[in-house]
Amino acid sequence: MGRILIVDDTMFMRTLLKNILFSGGHDIVGEAADGAEALAKYRELKPDLVTMDVVMPNVNGIEALKAIKAADPAAKVIMCTAVGQEQMVKLAVKSGARGYIVKPFQAPKVLEEVKNVLSA
Amino acid sequence: MFDEEGYRKLFVEESRENHENIVNNLLALENGEDQHTAIDEIFRSAHTLKGMSASMGFDAMEHLCHSMEDVFSLIRSGQRGVTASLTDLLLTCTDAIEGMLDTIEAGGTPSDEQSGSLVQELRAFTEEESPDEPTVSHDAPSPEPAGKADGRPVYTLTIAIDPSSTMKDIRAMLLLQNLQEIGTILSTNPMQELLEDGKFDGPFEILIESEAGEDALRTVASGTEISLLDLSVPQSPQAIFPEASEEAQTPEPDLEPEAAVPSPQAQRVAKSEKSREIKNIRVDIQRLDRMMNLVEDLVINRGRLELIAKKHGIKEFDEALSMVGRSVSDLQNLMMGIRMMPLERIFNRLPRVVRDVANHDGKEVEFTVEGGETELDRSMMDGLSDPLLHIIRNAVNHGIETPEIREACGKPPKGSLRLTARRDKDNVIIEIEDDGAGIDPERLRKKAVSKGLMTPEAAANATKDDLVSLLFEPGFSTAETITDISGRGVGLDVVKKTIASLKGTIKIETEVGRGTKFELVLPPTMAIIDVMMVHINGMRCAIPVSNVVEVAQTRPEAIHRIGNSEAILLRDQTLPLHRLEDMFGRTEKSDTLVVLQNDGRRCCISVDTVDGQQEVVVKPLSRIAGNCRGISGITIPGDGDVVPVLDVNTMI
Repeated sequence: MGRILIVDDTMFMRTLLKNILFSGGHDIVGEAADGAEALAKYRELKPDLVTMDVVMPNVNGIEALKAIKAADPAAKVIMCTAVGQEQMVKLAVKSGARGYIVKPFQAPKVLEEVKNVLSA
Repeated sequence: MFDEEGYRKLFVEESRENHENIVNNLLALENGEDQHTAIDEIFRSAHTLKGMSASMGFDAMEHLCHSMEDVFSLIRSGQRGVTASLTDLLLTCTDAIEGMLDTIEAGGTPSDEQSGSLVQELRAFTEEESPDEPTVSHDAPSPEPAGKADGRPVYTLTIAIDPSSTMKDIRAMLLLQNLQEIGTILSTNPMQELLEDGKFDGPFEILIESEAGEDALRTVASGTEISLLDLSVPQSPQAIFPEASEEAQTPEPDLEPEAAVPSPQAQRVAKSEKSREIKNIRVDIQRLDRMMNLVEDLVINRGRLELIAKKHGIKEFDEALSMVGRSVSDLQNLMMGIRMMPLERIFNRLPRVVRDVANHDGKEVEFTVEGGETELDRSMMDGLSDPLLHIIRNAVNHGIETPEIREACGKPPKGSLRLTARRDKDNVIIEIEDDGAGIDPERLRKKAVSKGLMTPEAAANATKDDLVSLLFEPGFSTAETITDISGRGVGLDVVKKTIASLKGTIKIETEVGRGTKFELVLPPTMAIIDVMMVHINGMRCAIPVSNVVEVAQTRPEAIHRIGNSEAILLRDQTLPLHRLEDMFGRTEKSDTLVVLQNDGRRCCISVDTVDGQQEVVVKPLSRIAGNCRGISGITIPGDGDVVPVLDVNTMI
């Protein structure tokens, strides 16, 4: 099971995701509400995996992903996305995202993706 | 049965497709997309063109294509790189080929003058020792040239993505990316671009060269929503590319394209093409139109049969007829579907235009196209092409600033131009959006006054929307100087007229410093429209629903005579009233009014009854009927009756 950092600008989504990941036996080591905070927390906590919202104020998910990948090329980041954001997710994949989960989250799918990315 | 003309037609048709394929892949190559596929595709198309033109005896074209093919076989085997100047040269070659195809289509034979010194220039390139220009480098991991087989095992993976996956394109992209990390993807079927755009149904194949071993491949190829259906026994690369380099040095001057021995790689591509082609056949557009006419004749005659059946009342006959009727309706719907074409057909040529204009103006533009699969009636495609071209050229020419200006404004030096198409209920919406300078309403205001289109007072009070709509006035252009690209004497007024003739509308949104967005809203087809069926003086008539504002009841005393004409006061608005007597004769019942509008102006007509709304096929009037003012065509609703369709445009 992994140590996970959740990045999302809404507490609602963070809580939702936290509960799903908890139920899968993962450890939530931290939360961040925007991209800038995400990079700082990543450096501090060195999590096994990051779930990254795409659309966030200030520093968005793509920029945060790039910053994290620049700091740690081996970082495992999963994008949290919604239908209609395909182009952004493609950009994220090109920038090094390892997976994606689609809102509204389905717990089994989220856990499957997290497991696959952690074990890759 | 297949004469010289038939060959020529087919030749031009297929050559144009190959020509387009070369252009698009050259641009893809320049943009740093998958080099491997692009180079293969260009080689394959040049090879096909060479073979076909040789068969037709078009020597000038054959020589040019042959030289292009030579260049690409060197590139493919890794002996030459793709440089910017080579791309330019090759694009010039494609222009020459296009010119030759025009000549051939017009019944002529291309001459060596049309290719000028291009063949020599290409030859100079193949003979030159080593390229002294840096090759275009790409960050993306690019596969090694096929000819360089270095003994790593090659696997074929057959992959299926869970049909319930929300973004199967991204799933495929992630998989390809992960596979790239442990090997080199040689090819995919369907092509990688199609996979990454989600344009695949069912399983797909990946040919990968990897030393990571079967287990590693199995792990990577079975992630979330991904299942590995098959992993083939490893083959040595030599088995797949036998004598690749030898083939590259001796391109064969084949006469029959089909009999040509293409390189093993081209064979592979051809194989994947072939499996696709079995499902598609080529049909001449004129044949399609004839079929459409026949279907409509069927509809009319079904109506007549129904009338006869009614007279005689034979039950079995009625039953059989209703079966026929259903088949005819299905056939009609099917034919309408066949007429639809993806917008890609006209979008495909635009990246080249953007590139050329941007290069000419010293601008950097990132051009993205989305929704090319959106369908539109093919009869509208031609009409839409020029307006789109104009707007796109304008956006690069006048909208997007030079990199220096952009940087000074705090924008990224590379401008962005987005072309998107989508289906929204009954309409197709096309948007062209740039992040350029936008249009300054103050400049429009000054210009409106100086051109005498507005009084200084009116201009001072005009809203931004009023000012922006001036752009559609004839002769109104904001560019200070006419450039040789945008200023070809065609203005936005022509664009608007053309879009209107396609029953569409155009709208501009602009923000100074932020950019401009054009929005085109079009019906997906002009052949089928929604009409309101009415009776006027006992005769049926159809009115396009897009022209109908409302239906109102009125009393005779509400109608006022003004000079020779009549008008009616309806909710504080005076509307001219037309009785259409010269078309249908005088109708006594005039208490039902239909309010019509066209381009913002309104009038009303009096009708006996409103019968309802229905979708109909509109047929143009035959030439024998001549020019009938007020009638845009006729329609034959299911009952076989022939009903005129009102042309509201000429009435207002």
